[in-house]
Amino acid sequence: MNTFIVTRLILKDWYLNRTLLVAAIVTGLLTLAGIAASKGNSIALILGIIVLATILIGMGAVIMSSMVNERKQQTLPFVMSLPVSYLEYTTSKLLGSLLIFSVLWLMLLLGMIATILITPWFSNGLIPFVVIMLVEVLMSTCLIAAVSVTTESQGWTIGVAQIGGLALNAVGFSIVRLPDISHTMRSRTIQWSTTSIVLLLAEFGTIALMLGTAFFVQSRKRDFV
Amino acid sequence: MTGVAVQFSGVSKKYPHFTLQDVDLELPTGSIMGFVGANGAGKSTTIRILMGLIHQDCGTVHVLNHTMPANQAAAKRDIGFVSEDMRLYASLTLAWHMNFVSSIYPQWDRLYAEHLLRSFDLKAERKIKGLSHGQRVKAALLLALARRPRLLVLDEPTTGLDPVGRREVLAELVAVLADEERTIFFSSQNTLDVEQISDQITFIDRGRIIDSANKETFLDRWRRLRLMLPLNTALPQLPGVIEVGGSTRLPVLTVNRFEPAMVAVCQDAGAAVQAVDAMTLEEIFIANVQSRREGVVA
Repeated sequence: MNTFIVTRLILKDWYLNRTLLVAAIVTGLLTLAGIAASKGNSIALILGIIVLATILIGMGAVIMSSMVNERKQQTLPFVMSLPVSYLEYTTSKLLGSLLIFSVLWLMLLLGMIATILITPWFSNGLIPFVVIMLVEVLMSTCLIAAVSVTTESQGWTIGVAQIGGLALNAVGFSIVRLPDISHTMRSRTIQWSTTSIVLLLAEFGTIALMLGTAFFVQSRKRDFV
Repeated sequence: MTGVAVQFSGVSKKYPHFTLQDVDLELPTGSIMGFVGANGAGKSTTIRILMGLIHQDCGTVHVLNHTMPANQAAAKRDIGFVSEDMRLYASLTLAWHMNFVSSIYPQWDRLYAEHLLRSFDLKAERKIKGLSHGQRVKAALLLALARRPRLLVLDEPTTGLDPVGRREVLAELVAVLADEERTIFFSSQNTLDVEQISDQITFIDRGRIIDSANKETFLDRWRRLRLMLPLNTALPQLPGVIEVGGSTRLPVLTVNRFEPAMVAVCQDAGAAVQAVDAMTLEEIFIANVQSRREGVVA
């Protein structure tokens, strides 16, 4: 694996996404500031959560579909004219997209935790639920990346992004009904129950499985352009 | 493999509606091969196999002593590739692309890139989306040429260019060959471009290589003989006749193995030779394709 060329390609994607990424981070942080300033107003909270979810899911879909876009915009032949193998290209796309998305994801995750900890309107017991849900968003985004990279199809990528978005609601409702989660959500202290740790491990395991499958499928491909 | 930049041996690739069959090609170092074929003939498939972007079903491909597609990344360090369907990043400037490519290729020639900017009349600070089609093609060529590649692979590079743009691009390709170690593989539907700059020519049709030789051989061995036959005189039997046109009295023979002695053979058979016309590469290509499709043995 030529790490130099992989790094160059990741930096290229970083540069291409920089404006969108900064705009998303600024909007997300302003939204969190708005939630913090709303003094627990439930309408502001709901609107804020909708904006944050839209930013994360939307940006995830945009960043992760860059491989499909590269094919659609016919820039793939340019990239593949460089001294890069297809596996190196796949690595740069998956790692690069994840790194770029992770910056936004991490900023918003830390911002949410900080908002919960700093403001008196939210109980700190919400934090495990917020972390589980944000890792769920990360998982959904990785699924989009894996599908985008392996199918190179805009239709499939959009379809999976939509399913991922809908599944987020279903997962959220299901998790909140779990006794271990619901009982600790209103607690003043952060409580990591066994259920929340198992859920997080399952999410990270699924992420690893999806990315591993994407690499495996790519390594067996014979035609690239 | 010394002295051979590209070598295809028995290469085939099957698709549901198209098959590239038994391609054998050899491109000596320092030469320009014009690869001519109609739309869908297999030019781009061949070039993608050459670049390692498509795996051949069978056969072997060696490019600059690298086995393809296994060693494509290493091979591409010395290849400049431009294809008609290649696009640059529309929202970024040409200068960004130049910096990006130069950061990957240690042999990037900054002075030559600046020379190309001037000779192609390009502005580095302009965004790609603000360039015309011709300027985009030239920008892609600049990025390929300034890498100083040992092998330049061009898939229909002059398609869509105006006559002035075509002339500029062809002139630059000829200049590139001042370095005798540099090799160009150049596909085109435009036989005039190929005739101007190539020294090796290969015709492909329906997935098969139908003819391959150096340009002078092609131009020397293909002729149209315009005859006048007296009444009751049979058409002289000549080798390499692939098409008989005209009328019974004034036949026009297209031959692909012309020898000056053929004129005497015709005259001995009682035919008057009115003219021996040289053929353009386009005429040769069309006659070649038609004769193969009609199954005429040439």
